[in-house]
Amino acid sequence: MPFFKTIRWIVWKDLVCELRSRETISSMLFFALIVILVFSFSFSMDQDAARQLIAGIIWVSFTFTGIIGLGKSFSSELQNDCLEALQISPIPKGAVYLGKVLANFLFMLSVEILLFPLFILFFNLDVVEELGILLLVFLLATLGLSAVGTLFSALTVQIRAREVMLPVLLLPLAVPVMIAAVEATRGTLNGDPYAFYSQWIQLLVVFDIIFTVVSFWLFELILDS
Amino acid sequence: MIAIQATNLSKAYGFYRIFEDLSFEIRAGECFALFGPNGAGKTTLLRILATLQQPSHGQFSVFGQDGVTEKDLVRQSLMVIAHGSHLYDELTGFENLQFALALRGQAFDPKTLKYGLDRVGIGAFGDLKIRQYSAGMKKRLALAKVVIGKPKLLLLDEPYNALDEAGVTMTNLIIQQTLAREGAVLMTTHDRDKAAHVATRGGILQSGHLQHLTREQLT
Amino acid sequence: MINRFIRYIQRYKGWFGGGAALCLLIGLYTGLLASPPDYYQGEVVRIMYVHVPLAHTSLLAYSVLFGGSIWYLWKRDPLVDNMCQAAATITAMFTGLALVTGSIWAKPTWNTWWTWDPRLVSFAVLLLILAGYMMLRRLVDDPDREGKYAAVLAIVGGVDLPIIKFSVEWWRTLHQPMSFSTRGVSISDDLLVPLLFMSAGCWLLFAYMLMIRTQMLYLTELLQAKKGRLLSQTHFSQSAQ
Repeated sequence: MPFFKTIRWIVWKDLVCELRSRETISSMLFFALIVILVFSFSFSMDQDAARQLIAGIIWVSFTFTGIIGLGKSFSSELQNDCLEALQISPIPKGAVYLGKVLANFLFMLSVEILLFPLFILFFNLDVVEELGILLLVFLLATLGLSAVGTLFSALTVQIRAREVMLPVLLLPLAVPVMIAAVEATRGTLNGDPYAFYSQWIQLLVVFDIIFTVVSFWLFELILDS
Repeated sequence: MIAIQATNLSKAYGFYRIFEDLSFEIRAGECFALFGPNGAGKTTLLRILATLQQPSHGQFSVFGQDGVTEKDLVRQSLMVIAHGSHLYDELTGFENLQFALALRGQAFDPKTLKYGLDRVGIGAFGDLKIRQYSAGMKKRLALAKVVIGKPKLLLLDEPYNALDEAGVTMTNLIIQQTLAREGAVLMTTHDRDKAAHVATRGGILQSGHLQHLTREQLT
Repeated sequence: MINRFIRYIQRYKGWFGGGAALCLLIGLYTGLLASPPDYYQGEVVRIMYVHVPLAHTSLLAYSVLFGGSIWYLWKRDPLVDNMCQAAATITAMFTGLALVTGSIWAKPTWNTWWTWDPRLVSFAVLLLILAGYMMLRRLVDDPDREGKYAAVLAIVGGVDLPIIKFSVEWWRTLHQPMSFSTRGVSISDDLLVPLLFMSAGCWLLFAYMLMIRTQMLYLTELLQAKKGRLLSQTHFSQSAQ
């Protein structure tokens, strides 16, 4: 079975299932809304405080909602033993990985894009001039989270206490993504010149490449018996 | 032609041994029925042959391809019907069939898929989500995969569960068709009467050993 | 039929243990009693002789875990899996001790138990990864998968560590200039001798602990396998009747 066809089928399957049930995205959205509310209660922010904290708040809520989506990505395959069917299909397992990364990336990104206007609204942000760069940061950081997260979603789904273990294993490894995403977002929102935070974008690119490749090779070991 | 050749297969979970040194062969055109008490390791053996688990020791080959080193080639020639239906609740029966066959590298036009659904008697429900299917309908959909996918080796884990009389007849018919095109079938079952219609050989897995049955014992 | 590497360990581990004890004794004596106090930091500097060797031994130990995990995925040798499991626990111990001694050192020098120093943060993240590793090992039901999953985590963590260190360092230098750094201390011979002995001692101690723990894990599994064989024999004969 050709590599790219497999990717396409996996993405198609995940998207169609999601569009019909809307389980993952809606639970992510509601969770994120609650996180935002809790943050705004706990900091009671004026505009100056918001400017300091907002980048962190954005990425804490994006990361935690992302973990919900990532966890569902493989726990949904447990129903009717579908994971087994993926294991015994004569397909390149790396293609399954890339398909899942792509699907998770799309879910997380669409939630982020839906949420971002709410951040602007709730925290009185100035509408950003550098929206393109901000979008780039979102893309790169989400891809990084999705690349490592998909690997660990497949790993934790086959062990006990999987809901706990996914964040426990994933979050320490995602420290570079978190730092880089927060710093780059802060830079853009503050209206700093690009050169001030370009290093973080480069770090995200490097992280994405390294961990897509490493996870791609390791994924086969996890999915296969 | 030898469909399954197993030599000294052993499986242990950690330190607990399930079976040891199983050696047997199943030829093309044979349907082997595996009986045995609960916990004897029938399903484990089936899962090992389906490349879902690794044997602790020993080798097996499927149509000459090694089951441990050439997994993908083995997987190309076999199909499994197990306890889990391998179906996605949100997809329709038709889409599930299409997806499952696509993962095997088989692309079919809608007419063939439709024909498969008709053959197992659920043609009318092709556009219904699996969520609305009954257990028996799911099992029939799995049979439709076999009808169209035409695997060389068919592994069935308790195939008669949840099926009505017509479903049992249909299962046996599909087994016979597989045998007729020089395929092989291995099934685990408790239902000797139903299996007796199609099984050409049988054995009892008990106490970690396989005891072959004679023709008279089988029927 | 005990593995021949286990036989080597049984024969030679005493040398490592003895060597570790000797080096650590010399190191502690020269470091804590014989060497002069530091010009800037006074007596406080003496914790460096414990902290620095612990810190780089934990990095060495993680490298052993990293290499062992790759080796295990390649060769699937169960003994290597035992070694990795042993290495992870010991690495966690060294990392934990390095963090604690670092924190004790921070109190008199920076007047705080904890500071977001890049090295401290990186070690804390390393400890979290190792804690996850040890939890993961306990949560996999299938023993075949346990070693494989653990190795995957160790490899991803190993690739990630330099990136974590790098990003944390960048992040701190951005927000505050680097606080006091050991690089400022000029290494004179008086300092070098105890430091070398302590480092050699810690490395030998790591090797010694790795050996006894690997041996223990291996022998435990062997014992369980023997027990399992007896159990399944009685199970087989009972159900045959």
